[in-house]
Amino acid sequence: MKFAVQVGARFSLNADLTVNRAGRYFLLNKALLEVARKNFYYAGTYLGKVKNGKFFPSFNLLAMLAEGEANKIVVENKAAWLFICGRDVFGKGIVAVHGSRRKRDHTLVLNEFGECLGFGRIVGSLGEAAKKGEVAVKNISDIGDFLRREI
Amino acid sequence: MKGFYWRLVIVRLMSGKEFFVDRYERLGWKLKDVKPRQAIRLNITNIEGKSLEERLEAIGVEVEKVPFLETGYWVLGSKVSVGATAEYLLGLYSVQEAAAQIPATLFTDLKGKTVLDACAAPGGKTVQLADLMGNTGVVVALDVRKRRLAALANHLERCHVSNAVVYELDARQVSRLKLKFDRVLLDAPCSGNFAADRNWFKRRTLKDVERNARLQREILAEAAACLSDDGELVYSTCSLEPEENEVNMDWAVKHLDLRIEEVDCYGDKGLTEVFGSRLDASVEWCRRIWPGETQGFFACKLKKRESKL
Repeated sequence: MKFAVQVGARFSLNADLTVNRAGRYFLLNKALLEVARKNFYYAGTYLGKVKNGKFFPSFNLLAMLAEGEANKIVVENKAAWLFICGRDVFGKGIVAVHGSRRKRDHTLVLNEFGECLGFGRIVGSLGEAAKKGEVAVKNISDIGDFLRREI
Repeated sequence: MKGFYWRLVIVRLMSGKEFFVDRYERLGWKLKDVKPRQAIRLNITNIEGKSLEERLEAIGVEVEKVPFLETGYWVLGSKVSVGATAEYLLGLYSVQEAAAQIPATLFTDLKGKTVLDACAAPGGKTVQLADLMGNTGVVVALDVRKRRLAALANHLERCHVSNAVVYELDARQVSRLKLKFDRVLLDAPCSGNFAADRNWFKRRTLKDVERNARLQREILAEAAACLSDDGELVYSTCSLEPEENEVNMDWAVKHLDLRIEEVDCYGDKGLTEVFGSRLDASVEWCRRIWPGETQGFFACKLKKRESKL
């Protein structure tokens, strides 16, 4: 799981339970494996898709990664709402940082309840950016996407 | 040409507000102004009720428990759209009409079962079933329209459902899956009702109702064939028309070796006399909901006859 490494997570999936369906990856359980036919549209936990050779993680996968050790920032309420609306995270909105602070690394973005809202790329030094009020984490993907998909 | 003209006249006569309102009066209900209240359903797998209430209050959403639902809430007022909050996007609740929350709750013991959601998109009830199952067992969700499967998949991902498998398949062909189901939810495609569609009276004719009723019977027959011997089938529609509801249940009892189970839930008894025809007495155990606080709805729980066991 290259993506898990990118966000500093130690994570592995059971290959026997992971199914690739036309570039979309699903994690099934044993009960689902028994009943799922090859032509399913969706099954189990959606993990993400590969498009033009690039992996786009699902929000389910991000939530699974957020449960363990990974690069994570926790943001306060207003920053969380702006992030869901597709905006970047400013340093002043960050409450806590876990894992990498290095620029260009990917990090998960969590709200104060510890729920994963998406992920982004670190573009500023997290500590200093907080003082300058600059963008610290550039939004790559956020759960507001559920609404954007329906438009 | 003459025949075509008369057919047109007959269709016009069997449609329109007056025609349907007269039918409702003959069934014992007088038309009134109704405005169904907005409702949400807590996803108990993802959050506890108390915590959700507090979080919603903090963002300006005032809710109140729906008295006849375990996990349903009326939305009393909201400063934001309840379909666009962080809590919604995190799958902590779903926006689901109160009456539509009833069918999935009529099953006994869903945990670990193999369940069919025969006409699943856009997936509100699929998610509810998975939630009641605590993500155990398997929910097989079907829909014939591929366009609607994307909405269903979004719904499953948003609510972190992990026990569902979705197929693009006509429910009339479910036996192709070669599976027997412990529980079948058949929320059948129907004519809908005026409380959920302000142009309903302009758009619907009795012909539509009859066409839908035929389709529903075809799906019912296939669903019953895939039901395990001690399985349960819940049939529901959001139609007020008896042809799609009580009359179909009467047909199921007489033709499909099914019997109606008495249920204890919100709603009136099913009609046992429809426009002069007497139906099987057990049809009164169905539940008919005339529009009011909720939209119009119909639900019925069926099991296989003991002789088949």
